[in-house]
Amino acid sequence: MFLSQNAKWNWIGNISFDEKIDRKDFVLCNENQIYQYFNDSKGLQYKGEKLAVEEEFQKIYKSENVKKENGWVRIRFVVNCNGESDRFRILTANYDYEPIEFDKNITSQLLNITKSLTGWIPKSVNGKKADYYQYLIFKIKDGKIDEILP
Amino acid sequence: MEKSTKYCLSFQLILVAFFTYGQSLNCNVFRLEGDSLKYKACEKATQTLKSFYQFDQRFHDGLSAAIKIAPNFDYPYKEQSVAYLKSGDFVSWKKLIDKSVELNPKGNLGYRGWCRYQFFRDYEGAIQDIEALEKIYPTGYLGYSVNGDYELRIAKALCYSAIGQKEKALSIIENQLAKKDHNVGLYDYYQLGVTYFELNKYDKALENFEKQSKVYDFAENIYFRSKVSKIRNKDYLDLKKAALIAYDDGKTMLEGYTHHFNKVYRKQITEL
Repeated sequence: MFLSQNAKWNWIGNISFDEKIDRKDFVLCNENQIYQYFNDSKGLQYKGEKLAVEEEFQKIYKSENVKKENGWVRIRFVVNCNGESDRFRILTANYDYEPIEFDKNITSQLLNITKSLTGWIPKSVNGKKADYYQYLIFKIKDGKIDEILP
Repeated sequence: MEKSTKYCLSFQLILVAFFTYGQSLNCNVFRLEGDSLKYKACEKATQTLKSFYQFDQRFHDGLSAAIKIAPNFDYPYKEQSVAYLKSGDFVSWKKLIDKSVELNPKGNLGYRGWCRYQFFRDYEGAIQDIEALEKIYPTGYLGYSVNGDYELRIAKALCYSAIGQKEKALSIIENQLAKKDHNVGLYDYYQLGVTYFELNKYDKALENFEKQSKVYDFAENIYFRSKVSKIRNKDYLDLKKAALIAYDDGKTMLEGYTHHFNKVYRKQITEL
């Protein structure tokens, strides 16, 4: 079953439009029905698979001038029905799952690279393209990207 | 008697794992035990699960009401944690799942351990949880991962492998596979084969990839057989081609939420 989130109710993890940080020209097919990336059981869908995402970060992310921090950084966002992304939000924690403030040199690089990814594959429901929430979690070890999830 | 009790408890563990994805608890258990508060909370929780999607605020409100009825009942905390887990909110998830483990370690340690591994690649944390569960059931059956792919000791072995303790991983998998009552999982021999491969033990690696092919052959397993052939200067191209065909047919390590340990992508097969 492909479950959607109707805006009539509040939903865990909803990302509402924020005019201070979000693009005004980022259009959703249906603001009232944003799915989760796993609702179709296909998981993360990117041109060249997740390997292509990992390769982008490997190529661009620089760990030389960042603090040797450890923990997780999650960047969650919306992929619209055209495969474009926006409404990026960051969550950070140490390995004890406690919120911490990460070195901006780490989070800003991760955010900028995430924003630059253009291979998101639109998902569809009953033959119609749908908008969905996606996230990337970066496991950071000594300031370097150790793993990328999901 | 003791053994049968352990198996009975293990069976309960498996049931708890299934409940996590929305199946109902039998609340009558609490009524029979004379715990009317847990019974009432259980009824409220299961009714909520039937009515709303995990991400719906009403789902969370219903479970909060169940917690209010019986604050020492682990189940509503665990169910509340799932939406946070699936949306990658490690902070909120951990608070809720910790509460459920605190209230019912036997029922929830294995689940938390698996989730730490699957969703956050928290290998050390997962090992800690599974080993804590083993202390409770030192010789008994621990149960399976939530997705059913791995017995929990094998899941623990994957974590040891990920942090570089390959020999330890091998020993755990071999011991588990040697048990008469072990049901061979979908990827057990593959993971064992890859671990041998990483230690350059190609005979043992191949032996296990071949065993795997009898259980379920898939692109990654064929890819590694091809790699062994290439290392030994034997013809590997037919296997490479077979791996690509299997991949394109969807016979690959699929995962709806995250990615499998030792997953191989199509591009990596083409580059062999």
